[in-house]
Amino acid sequence: MSTILSIPTLGLIAIMQSAVVSRLPLNRGIADLMLVVLIAIALQKTVTTSWQWSIVGGLFMDFLSGLPFGIFTISYLLATGLALIIRERIWRFSFLMQLLVVFFGTMVSQLLSFLVLFLQGSDISLGTVLQVVTLPSIMLNFMISLPIFILTQDVLEQVTPQE
Amino acid sequence: MDIRFPKSLLIIALSLVAIGVLALALSGVFTSFSRWIVSPLTSVQTWVSQQYQGVENFVSASQDIREIRQQNTELEAENARMQAQIVELQQQLVEFEILSALLEFARANPEHQYIGASVIGRDPSPFLNYIIINRGSDDGLRRGMPVVTQNGLAGRVVQVTATGARVSLITDPITRINVRVEPSRSAAVLTGSITGDITLEQIPQDDEINPGNLILTSGLGGNYPANIIVGQITSVRSRENALFQSASVQPVTDFSDLSIVLVITNFEPVDFSPLVPESGTP
Repeated sequence: MSTILSIPTLGLIAIMQSAVVSRLPLNRGIADLMLVVLIAIALQKTVTTSWQWSIVGGLFMDFLSGLPFGIFTISYLLATGLALIIRERIWRFSFLMQLLVVFFGTMVSQLLSFLVLFLQGSDISLGTVLQVVTLPSIMLNFMISLPIFILTQDVLEQVTPQE
Repeated sequence: MDIRFPKSLLIIALSLVAIGVLALALSGVFTSFSRWIVSPLTSVQTWVSQQYQGVENFVSASQDIREIRQQNTELEAENARMQAQIVELQQQLVEFEILSALLEFARANPEHQYIGASVIGRDPSPFLNYIIINRGSDDGLRRGMPVVTQNGLAGRVVQVTATGARVSLITDPITRINVRVEPSRSAAVLTGSITGDITLEQIPQDDEINPGNLILTSGLGGNYPANIIVGQITSVRSRENALFQSASVQPVTDFSDLSIVLVITNFEPVDFSPLVPESGTP
């Protein structure tokens, strides 16, 4: 799948994340639409440009967020790496793998954000973060995983030439 | 033998017979007879008439149904248009109410100059309570400018681009605002948290503060102008051996439903960094 295509697609997703998804919190957690989409793309066998897509998505989110620059890009690259490892190791892929990667991807992303903010001097505790931010975020990411997984599969079937 | 009656006699006889029959009919002699003859005819006529009407209705009804369906489609389209108009008007009414309240706030605080801005997004990270507004340096916004709503303080501008700006809300974990409590005029520091709650800290133990007291910016520190309402104390926590009291604060602004804000443009935050001694300096 073309990397150029990632710019308008992920740009639109970044706007959706900021304008819509971020306004729908569960406790203090919010769904990470970009993360779920990037994982769904990385898990598709036909996609060979997952790393490029992760960098583009991460950069969009880094530009939009007030977090130190690079946090989202690093998080998405780690999640993509995990997705690619699973994709190579497991012969028959199922939707449960998507949930597994979303779980670890969200954990990595949020713990990285926590660590950076903690080192910057923010008065936040890991217990509170896990309780009010991370777990609700994981729940929300699980909820949007299935529709995004199906949508990504369908779109890729349309845009990727079959053998 | 051929008997022939005169024509006139025949006419008279037939007339008499007709008059007789008429007289008998008028007298009611033929009533039962006529019922016996007519009633089957009526039944047959009724059945034929019903069938005809049925066929006529079937032919005309298809045309009526077409008209009704067309009318129904038109009415449904009109209904949808009206519903959309109602939603639009309700949205305009809400915006009008917010703008009226903001105007009221600006009139009540004429010492400041304001620029209105729409909230177009929130920070994608759940760790930061930031909003993104649709005004930037092209509109005269600068870093550090305070942001208010019709109810009181909302936050301050932390990053500006040409056409947009990022605003750190007072609920953000990095927030530290010098405030005072009314009516006791106690000085305190307001802090945000990851949970979105805001807390008053560093209130001297001797100061009397109570639930319901108002919190206003004090202007100390130079980051915010003085006398902007921030919230109200909901509960006070005081320990005997502690140096300071603390209190939970209910903000006056509903941060979950921010749509329009005002940026105070004639406030210059004071930069104290040149006054802070560098490490190693005597």
